[in-house]
Amino acid sequence: MNVTVETAPTREAASRQDEMYREAAAAFAQTLQRLARGYESDADRRLDLLQEIHLALWQSFEGFDGRCSLRTWVYRVAHNVATSHVIRERRFNSRTLVGLDEIEPPSTGHDGERSADRRIVLEKLAHMIRSLTPVDRQVILSYLEGLDAASIAEITGISAGNVATKIHRIKLLLARRFHQGGHDGK
Amino acid sequence: MASESNDGLATLWQGQPVTRIEISLDQLRWRARRFESRIHWRNLREYAAGALVVGVFGYYVWRIPAPLVRLGSMLVIVGGLFALRSLHVRGASGSAPVNMAFSSCLEFHRRQLERQRDLLRDVWTWYLLPFVPGLAVFLVGLLGWTLAQPNAPAHRQLIVGAFVATALGCGLVLAAVGRLNRWAARKLQREIDALAALEEKS
Repeated sequence: MNVTVETAPTREAASRQDEMYREAAAAFAQTLQRLARGYESDADRRLDLLQEIHLALWQSFEGFDGRCSLRTWVYRVAHNVATSHVIRERRFNSRTLVGLDEIEPPSTGHDGERSADRRIVLEKLAHMIRSLTPVDRQVILSYLEGLDAASIAEITGISAGNVATKIHRIKLLLARRFHQGGHDGK
Repeated sequence: MASESNDGLATLWQGQPVTRIEISLDQLRWRARRFESRIHWRNLREYAAGALVVGVFGYYVWRIPAPLVRLGSMLVIVGGLFALRSLHVRGASGSAPVNMAFSSCLEFHRRQLERQRDLLRDVWTWYLLPFVPGLAVFLVGLLGWTLAQPNAPAHRQLIVGAFVATALGCGLVLAAVGRLNRWAARKLQREIDALAALEEKS
């Protein structure tokens, strides 16, 4: 029979792991929900993805050594779990993901839509994000969360210069798609 | 102007209504246990598949008194066990959650794709090839044994034709699986190259 004896340092580490997770979950709960929305459209699968992110986050804190900020840690784990989700889903879904350079403007509805319904704008924004490649999704989601280029670079591993270029494209794209009265900027 | 509007879009994104979802530590522990249980069942399924291969071809070793059929069956058993072991080892080499935080998203994504590419590209060597020698020897042995049966000469052409068709069918299926996987691996390679180019610029 196997008997696991939990020593004091193990208990202490487990309690520290729990504490770190609680702190991160409290600070980033809503951010993680929004992030999941950028990766999964189906509500049930989105909840599953969110729980998967939380589980990975909790497990990851076993090895937290302060080499980066809590925010960078949380974003990296969350994006990496979500990227694995995208790769996994791709086996059952032949949808092609595109980069910021290739994305097509959507066929928007009426001219007054921009001010009429925030929910529709958000839905279109989320849909556009979900059609991007994981790298571009990571950048746009971080940008929308208000992170600066240096922080996004640290999370994604793309150089700050490259992030700045991508953010510039994102700004143009968003302006074209969401601020021209539904004419798609054409 | 556009920037101000985009700041508004970021505010809209951050301010979107989200139903607060509480996930307790107990739920996470339950989910972790469920994950371990899934791994346990996956291992059991692999052992069952191994037992099936050993059972079926072990039966041939026991029942068919032709040396080549017995040798082929034993080779299929060895090949099958090797393929299952490879599947187990390669399937278990996923990324631990702590490594998800240690590597940047770009690096993590590239490694995930590389792992998938290697699985597909090498499918011939670790999954298909181990079965080929055993199946070839088994089929040749079975053909010889069948032709040696008392009433075989009357149906010789039919028997040989059926065996050639079976051998060709097996060969075509193996070649098609290998080709499809190599095609998928090449597609992944293009994505890996694009990510590596981004990393180089960093």
